[in-house]
Amino acid sequence: MVTTTTATETAARAATIVSQYFSVPIAALEVKAAQLSAELAGSGRFGELSSHQLDALVEPHALNIVALSEARVYGAGFIAAVGLLADERNHLSWWQGDEPKRLLLAAQSVNKEHIDYSELEWFRVPMETGRGHVAGPYVDYLCSDEYTITVAAPVHIDAKFVGVAGLDLLIDSVERQLLPQLAELGASITVVNSVGRVVLSTDARHATGDAVRGGALAELARTACVGVALEIIAE
Amino acid sequence: MSPSESTDAPHNAAVVDNDAARSRDSARPGRLQGALFQSIGDAGRAELVERRLAGAITGGHLRAGERLPSENDLARTFGVAPTTVRESLLALRGRGLVVTRRGRNGGSFVAESTDPVAHARTALAETSRLALRDMGAHYAAITAACVRLAARRAVPSEVQKVRSRLNRLNESDLEQWRSTLDDVQIELVALSQSARLTREQMRLQAEMSPMLRLIDADEASRSAQHALLLSVVDAVEAGDDQAAVAATERMVDAVIDALIDLQSHTR
Repeated sequence: MVTTTTATETAARAATIVSQYFSVPIAALEVKAAQLSAELAGSGRFGELSSHQLDALVEPHALNIVALSEARVYGAGFIAAVGLLADERNHLSWWQGDEPKRLLLAAQSVNKEHIDYSELEWFRVPMETGRGHVAGPYVDYLCSDEYTITVAAPVHIDAKFVGVAGLDLLIDSVERQLLPQLAELGASITVVNSVGRVVLSTDARHATGDAVRGGALAELARTACVGVALEIIAE
Repeated sequence: MSPSESTDAPHNAAVVDNDAARSRDSARPGRLQGALFQSIGDAGRAELVERRLAGAITGGHLRAGERLPSENDLARTFGVAPTTVRESLLALRGRGLVVTRRGRNGGSFVAESTDPVAHARTALAETSRLALRDMGAHYAAITAACVRLAARRAVPSEVQKVRSRLNRLNESDLEQWRSTLDDVQIELVALSQSARLTREQMRLQAEMSPMLRLIDADEASRSAQHALLLSVVDAVEAGDDQAAVAATERMVDAVIDALIDLQSHTR
């Protein structure tokens, strides 16, 4: 017999599914960030490392994260703080794609080489708080060129901030992986981020990217997901 | 008019015999087949790589003296063989856009003599008014679609970050001035939450930006562009999609007018 569950119970179960989904890449990134900071600490003083040396350190970790089987990670890598490297100011040590390649200048686009990373949420928040952060969804015009969630963790050497380790999850993949699980709960489930933007919904009328504000969802209760700043609205 | 609406079909065909109408329609060439059978060009891979790099250099997205990534890195990124990259670099050297130095700190560099402004001046002189207006129409259509979505979807704190970037616009360095304006435009457009539209905007921005540097030399043009972009930001922050579209169209019209003015004075 089918038991009736309340919207609150359904929302709690959905929150668990979402938390579990994100916990795998978040945990993997934190492990890699810690390993990288140990390796960076052993490889020379701040300001003496070359971009080439950094890439060699970062590559195995980045490829390892992109190969995670539990969540489809599109790209991963490390973005050095200004001053860490001797030869480059804005260095992206980043691998992405189905056959991961290091991201280079994007000649078709504007100014990617001259971007100040400290303006970008996924860099700024870990830099300022010293803690990991999940940013987005947002159109990532720097790395993936897709609608993306970025998981980011600060990297320190002896308490000095030296950069941010990160990974990209495409919303396209998140939808493919999470939606079937949420749909099994039977109710209408919408996942929203901390600014009230729809990440995905089992209800086709709630489009990814839309703002909750002003709509029917705005009035409904939200259930927080543990470990990731996302919330569930169950109808 | 779509084939199913064409006048030679009986008016009630769909009602009388749905299947027959469908099979007749599918036998007719559709308008979209025209796009299907357009020339795909026969440029070799080396030529495509050359064109991509040349565009970045003449457009000023790669600066004079800047070091290019290694041949192997370029090959991996473009998904071509290293010999293909070597061939395209050879052609770029022949055109004087790239120089290659040997030795420990060697590699390929953007030639010191490249002058994006001179390239833009040539490009503007060689572009017809029709093409300029059409470029403006394309740009306005994409940008308007983006800001309409952004006005509906962005939260005020996101727009305020874009605004604070615009507030730091610095008149003392014109190159920096243009790149800040480009960045602000892209950030605003990304608030649409549409990756496809943002990519298209970036492509158009990269195409237009070098020419826009030509009108930036004029102080009145700069302050007009600044004020118009600010009015787009205001409308997006207020969540007023119609005002955002109207302001965008005013902005693009002003820019294309200025380009055509400049062109007629220098011809």
